[in-house]
Amino acid sequence: MQEIQNQKVKEKIYKQKLENGLNVIIIPKKDISKKYIIWGTNFGSIDNEFIPTGEKVATKIPDGVAHFLEHKLFEQKNGTNSLDILSALGVDANAYTTNDHTAYLFEATDNFYEALDELMNYVQNPYFTDENVEKEKGIIAQEINMYDDDPNWQVYMNVLKLMYKDNPINIDIAGTVESINSINKEILYKAYNTFYNLSNMTLVACGDFEQDKLLEEIKKRITKNDEKQEIKRIYKQEQEQVVSQEKILKMEVNNPLYIIGFKDKPINSKEKVKKYIAVQIILYMLLGKSSETYKKLYEQGNIMSQPDLDYEFSNQYAHVLIIGQAKEPKEVVNELKNTIQKYQQNGLEQQHFNRIKKKIYGDYIMQYNDVGTIARMFLADSFKEINSFEYLEQYDEVTLEYTNQILKDTFNLRQMVVSIVKGK
Amino acid sequence: MNYNKINIKEGINLHIIPTNKFKTNLLSIFITTPLSRQTVTKNALIPTILRRGSNNLKTQEEISKYLEEMYGASFDCGIEKIGDNHVIKFYLETINDTYLPDNETILKASIETLIDIVFNPKIENEKFDKIYLDTEKENLRQIIEGKIDNKAVYSLNRCIEEMYKNKPYGLYKFGYAEDLEAIDEEKLYNTYKTLISESKIDIFISGKVEIKQVEDIIKQNNQIRKLDDRKPQYISSGQRPESKENINEVTESMQITQGKLVLGLEVQTKDLEEKYVALVYNAILGGGASSKLFQNVREKASLAYTAGSNYIKQKDNIFIRCGIEIKNYQKALQIIKQQLQDIQKGEFSEEELENAKTTIISTIKFIPDEQDTEITYYFGQELANTKISFEEYIDKINSITKEQIVKLAQDVAINTIYFLKD
Repeated sequence: MQEIQNQKVKEKIYKQKLENGLNVIIIPKKDISKKYIIWGTNFGSIDNEFIPTGEKVATKIPDGVAHFLEHKLFEQKNGTNSLDILSALGVDANAYTTNDHTAYLFEATDNFYEALDELMNYVQNPYFTDENVEKEKGIIAQEINMYDDDPNWQVYMNVLKLMYKDNPINIDIAGTVESINSINKEILYKAYNTFYNLSNMTLVACGDFEQDKLLEEIKKRITKNDEKQEIKRIYKQEQEQVVSQEKILKMEVNNPLYIIGFKDKPINSKEKVKKYIAVQIILYMLLGKSSETYKKLYEQGNIMSQPDLDYEFSNQYAHVLIIGQAKEPKEVVNELKNTIQKYQQNGLEQQHFNRIKKKIYGDYIMQYNDVGTIARMFLADSFKEINSFEYLEQYDEVTLEYTNQILKDTFNLRQMVVSIVKGK
Repeated sequence: MNYNKINIKEGINLHIIPTNKFKTNLLSIFITTPLSRQTVTKNALIPTILRRGSNNLKTQEEISKYLEEMYGASFDCGIEKIGDNHVIKFYLETINDTYLPDNETILKASIETLIDIVFNPKIENEKFDKIYLDTEKENLRQIIEGKIDNKAVYSLNRCIEEMYKNKPYGLYKFGYAEDLEAIDEEKLYNTYKTLISESKIDIFISGKVEIKQVEDIIKQNNQIRKLDDRKPQYISSGQRPESKENINEVTESMQITQGKLVLGLEVQTKDLEEKYVALVYNAILGGGASSKLFQNVREKASLAYTAGSNYIKQKDNIFIRCGIEIKNYQKALQIIKQQLQDIQKGEFSEEELENAKTTIISTIKFIPDEQDTEITYYFGQELANTKISFEEYIDKINSITKEQIVKLAQDVAINTIYFLKD
């Protein structure tokens, strides 16, 4: 296996692409008794139009298929449910679906290899029937209803809808109660056969492992015999400009929630990691706890904690998100606009920049405390063709000058949108 | 077991957990005091005013800048209800010196910073800063009024409130908006002085640290030296809910899509041994994917996405929680009651019992791999006046029999059913 080290965080990873196309990453962690393994496929809610394996014409699937598939994969032909079996082994098993990938995982202290048998078996052996697909609709409908009442999720979906017109990132990952009703076992098999091809999948393990032994154990458990293939996904061309600038939704909440978004161009280049770091530095300089804007808004009593600051990107989209609560969200927007314009004109201040850069360094090191966080990070990054160590490696490359340029390019006020949820 | 407790003063203890598992050091200070209607709101204000500024770092901005220079050390504070105690918590997480770029050391400075924020506040003329307090009172009002915003948490709180009417555990941990007006910078400073001089104080440090070095830093710290011995009051179990002839059924309406059902159960345990039985009982009932609630409410009846239960050891209560379609209220309730009866009748398999134990044991084994969880575990032991190692804990769980579960189940009773609907 290929060994990659990082001196800053003092960790190393081993990676290999197997002949069958499966990508394996192992991160040994001595001293930790928890072992974490996660198997993901590069299939998320945005992959809703594609040419299915063995067919010639593109097909469009209902919203929520990737997530529905995640729920159903646990069901076994012999009537058992893999989630129960894993739970009986004393391992903590779970699965999740994002915009661009679906992942199946467990963490264990004991019975690791027994659980690995189960995980690798159920992911490779789908069993969908009309009956078990029908039954799941009730459960998923309740999951969708739960999100319908969640103001945090509503304000998030709305900010995406403000930014994106055609990119399916603007659709709820779970779909809607209507859209999941049209899902059947044929659709699920079609999606499974296309996207759960080993060459579209990555497996990451983190814990006290001997890498070569674990790799052998993984290989032993591969029963699928896929022909390597290029998946043809169809994404509509997304317009550069935003759809609309503002959306206010009224819900039963007391404290208003807001998300400010900046729609950016998707980044395919090698630069994405460096750009991500620069965007993070800018965000903390604009609205971090030591910033002037934060101080002003706090002292006015408008906000009571620092908003969450994030830059989300894949090969299909990229945007900045500022997520918080405020009495008067529009005041936050105004203050932010003024600060951005000021910084764009005068440039960022060197001392402030250095201090925030130090903070970011600590944030990256802290990512390596928990085996689960580490494994999920390497998995999610792998689907963006990033090795997570790159964040610490490119850290030194990010200069004030470069960051000033990103401030001008990415924090374009014409690309800004505001989503608000407030009380009735 | 890698845990060291060092007595600093009477009522003040330092707990050190040396470990090489993490990139970070986690420091925390817990101040514990009995919950009461008179002090609940004032106590909730204390951490918010302290984080505004100390005698050395006078503003939030100064504190933040200082922490950013320390490679993004992160400060956090909060308030919690543990049994009938009100616990004020302060945390500081820093990168361990081993992972700093230039052979720097920030351990001592980080410990001193947290102590400074908690024990050396910005005070003028025996008062807190009035401007700071006014902002924080308003913030707290928003938090209190925002308790409806998360419907799942709100429903649980409401069920507890109904069960413990006019009792300490029924109090809302953030207090009450109507108290705020009467609190001023002088009164709050008096509350603070009483807290600091009379309450139980526990300082925890977890990370790659030398015991002796940390002990010296704490013992030689001026703020710590100024603290006096105290005979702190804190409560290990506290008052039980009002026992009622009939189940108290409470329904409330809001504009929502999904109904939230919470059942508050009473469990009878006479000693620590029986609390382990209750823990296993709860795991069979609603502890995870193989539990009765998950299997029957979710998997078989497709009524819910979330269905499970929690055992609150300090209060001997189990809270069952499900998110369901509003029209399915009776159906869900009937299935839940059936599960309770089934356990009473001993209708659970050896496998279900084993699964429940394995679920609990794996959570115990995870404890030392998570810094804050390990601190919370030892603090729980401290408040309960027990000292049980992870090994003993696992042995206890393993020893629980089906007979013990069935016996305990006979006295498990529903006290309150709370339903939030449209």
